[in-house]
Amino acid sequence: MLLQRLIPSLLLRGGRLVKGVEFQSFRDAGRPETTARAHNAQGADEIIVLDIDASREKRPPDFEALRRVTAECFMPVTFGGGIRSRDDAARALDAGADKLTLTMTALENPGLIDTLAHYLGSQAVVLGVDVVRVDGRAMVYDHHRHEPALDRSVKGWIDEAIDRGAGEIRLMSADREGRRMGMDLDLIGKVAASCEVPVVAEGGAGTLEHLAEALHAGASGVAVGTMLVFSDNNLVKIKSFLKSRACAMRM
Amino acid sequence: MTVGVVDYGAGNLRSVLNMFAYLGEDATILREPEDVLGADRLVLPGVGAAGEAMDRLRTRHLDEALDEAVLEKGRPLLGICLGMQLISERLFEFGERRGLGWIDGDVINIRHCTNDPHLRVPHMGWNQIEIMPTGEEFLSGIGNSQQYYFAHSFTLRPSDDNVVAARTSYGADLVAAVRKDTIFATQFHPEKSQVAGERMISAFLEWNP
Repeated sequence: MLLQRLIPSLLLRGGRLVKGVEFQSFRDAGRPETTARAHNAQGADEIIVLDIDASREKRPPDFEALRRVTAECFMPVTFGGGIRSRDDAARALDAGADKLTLTMTALENPGLIDTLAHYLGSQAVVLGVDVVRVDGRAMVYDHHRHEPALDRSVKGWIDEAIDRGAGEIRLMSADREGRRMGMDLDLIGKVAASCEVPVVAEGGAGTLEHLAEALHAGASGVAVGTMLVFSDNNLVKIKSFLKSRACAMRM
Repeated sequence: MTVGVVDYGAGNLRSVLNMFAYLGEDATILREPEDVLGADRLVLPGVGAAGEAMDRLRTRHLDEALDEAVLEKGRPLLGICLGMQLISERLFEFGERRGLGWIDGDVINIRHCTNDPHLRVPHMGWNQIEIMPTGEEFLSGIGNSQQYYFAHSFTLRPSDDNVVAARTSYGADLVAAVRKDTIFATQFHPEKSQVAGERMISAFLEWNP
């Protein structure tokens, strides 16, 4: 049986690990490789590493920090932030990434999904979709314009990306990130039901029960950030809890 | 003993090199046919789309060097993920290609093997494997954690079941590992499967077929 995944999500800024609230304010959270080593030791099923400024600053991702992180990881590493070309993808893989997640760079250039899927296979191409609710309606968020993208529906964009070759969806509730109010179960359920690739959900978890709810709603995995960086939660404890809630976890 | 990792320009070599470094093995990167012929043990890694990967092996004449090193000289080879698919006869990812042809069989989309129309493909994440007697040398002794990381949309369907060294279940029975002569290959990623994968790679390093 395929197991569900618990995936720590690491945000990089200036080679350091940071943790933010709604992509607005960030606090320093130490050296990313130190945290990656701890996650590996605790049996993380995978890890996501995002260079959060690369896309907006229109610069290449921080491959050096990535390399330091992957040296500590004997589980898969998904890397994102500023991957714009086949060459960027090759460099990220050379730095130890296994999968690439495209969010803004795919919105700006959807053909990038096709290019990377042909080059690396669909299993290595993850579409990141940042979603906000506007008057209750789920919308794709455009981080460059700081507003929802009006020309794309969440479902339409996900369907298009899968047609182009995306092999996984990283579904982030951007307006819940760091707020610990619970995950957007309606969104997770609808997206998971309407597509036939794995969906990894993130954003809004404040309790372990919230993570269990997202897995029960249909997510193949849950990504956790805030919950790990500034709390006494650890992966072993979280997995034990999820297993007790009938989630299929690797112990 | 030299361990060489074949670089055909699309694999993520770093993950494999990290694992060998962790095990204290100084693996080298093989880019030229003569490098391939000089290594005592070979690793054919893989992230990539099959068609393009096979084209690159041919363009660089690495296919001929691999044939000579493995089939004629009998050097042990570990294939990983796409590396397992490339040793088959025919590949169907983004167009049909001829593979290295060491294992009789086709590599086809997982969707064409399952009766479940809603199966999520790629098969992505950690899955339990069932070990055949021929796989025990590599995969046993791990106790209750026989779980490995898979990330693939295509699957090898060998004509001869005797080459299957391990299976996994995902929408259908899928091949998780094959073994034939001096070849051992896995669909999962041992280099990304923490302790279970570390033990498997150690076993490959000690394997004397």
